[in-house]
Amino acid sequence: MKLFVPSPGHIDSLKELLKQKEKIYSIFMAGSPDYIGTGRSNLASPQLEDIKEQTEFAHKNGVKMELVLNSSCMGGRQLTPEGFRVNHWYIEKLVDIGIDSIVVADPYLVETISRDFDVDVVVSVLAFVDSPQKAEFFENLGAKSIVIDSNVNRHFDILHAIRDSVDCELKLLVNEGCLYRCPFRYAHFNFFSHAFGPEPRPNVLDDYYYLKCLELRIENPELITKSPWIRPEDLKLYRDITDVYKIGGRTHFVDWILNCVNAYYNESYDGNLMDLLDCPKDLKDLYNIPNKSFDGILEKQWMNCKKVCNKCGYCRTLTKKVVQVYSNGGTELEKCLPWETIAVET
Amino acid sequence: MGNNSGGNMITEEILKNRADFEDKTRKLIGRPVLLIELDIFALPCGCAGITANMRGLEVDDLEVFEPQILQLVKEMAARFEIKPTVTFARLVPGSSIVASLNWRTLCMRCYPEFARGEGKMPRPDLYMLQFERRK
Repeated sequence: MKLFVPSPGHIDSLKELLKQKEKIYSIFMAGSPDYIGTGRSNLASPQLEDIKEQTEFAHKNGVKMELVLNSSCMGGRQLTPEGFRVNHWYIEKLVDIGIDSIVVADPYLVETISRDFDVDVVVSVLAFVDSPQKAEFFENLGAKSIVIDSNVNRHFDILHAIRDSVDCELKLLVNEGCLYRCPFRYAHFNFFSHAFGPEPRPNVLDDYYYLKCLELRIENPELITKSPWIRPEDLKLYRDITDVYKIGGRTHFVDWILNCVNAYYNESYDGNLMDLLDCPKDLKDLYNIPNKSFDGILEKQWMNCKKVCNKCGYCRTLTKKVVQVYSNGGTELEKCLPWETIAVET
Repeated sequence: MGNNSGGNMITEEILKNRADFEDKTRKLIGRPVLLIELDIFALPCGCAGITANMRGLEVDDLEVFEPQILQLVKEMAARFEIKPTVTFARLVPGSSIVASLNWRTLCMRCYPEFARGEGKMPRPDLYMLQFERRK
């Protein structure tokens, strides 16, 4: 198993993470927001010298280093002569530093980086590769690895079709708790790309997409059940597709990241499923969903599910059975109650 | 999760009030809304008050349960001995999302900003629940 593990982006985090280096194949982290930026939020903006120090430290410990430059929108800047020059300069510096792989979402960057530099180009999950045709397209552009769109994590027919269509490495993002077929996905990642990309950055007080996402799940926790996360226990069912897994969560504490690393490395977690999900992290203080209560469900139901939810109702029933809500959280009276005892059905 | 007050009376009181407000709001609207952070604040201008950062609360809930929510706010404010001159919800502009409930004792400088506005929404991101005009 190859585990790609997030780092918040500074050397102290990396040192803590690599205390368990035997479980980690590669670290990944964002680069500076001043060039290509990333499609997700970040805690750090490491400069080239910071990246160099961290890459050397990772390599000294036998762990690879991956830089994530997966902005989903650069406003066309990448296509201007100045944008091309600046981005190329930045990539050249990263390659000189010894970065092992670079994750990008834009097909243009996949093609130009794989053509012009001696570095592995990884297609980001934000390129939404959800079909064998898209996978072939990116492989032909020069991709060495593709992170498959997590929306199809439970579509085994598509996963197998992608595996059969390309020779490059495939990665699965295992702990993203985003809404299945999330309607906010494009707008949200584009927003992040500008908020965590080069100036000018939007000065936004509240992230509508995130808050709306939480609101929907508070109204209906079935949406958490249906999110395309992969439990540690279920990795074995993906072995004939890939053994390369990516853990999301570069804005979390190292302790949280290592808890995920241990869960996926050991392929078992006896706790709240919400502890493992990168997003929506705010809801881990609302819901207790025993991870083990999903034992066998992927094999029994989801592997062959047609995803016609209004005719099925399986996840609705399952959610009522397993989801608990924290009541009186943070006090001596704290307890977990079945979701139905608090929610009024609409 | 879990009680981590360490026996300190003030933190115990804040934790208890957070849980109590969340519980009563859930019972009121029939949904497990989350009071994700309860803050007691003081600003350099002289304003002071309480902010309840909510998740899952919507403008519709305020419209339907305004008197009851206002009562809950008043009860908590009284427990912390804060006399709010203004109580408002902060919205994500243009959406149904209530980001927070705020009750604030306004300073002399900030009072005119609130006093000038009229109606329930003096700004696209504010939904007024109560405002005490000076005579």
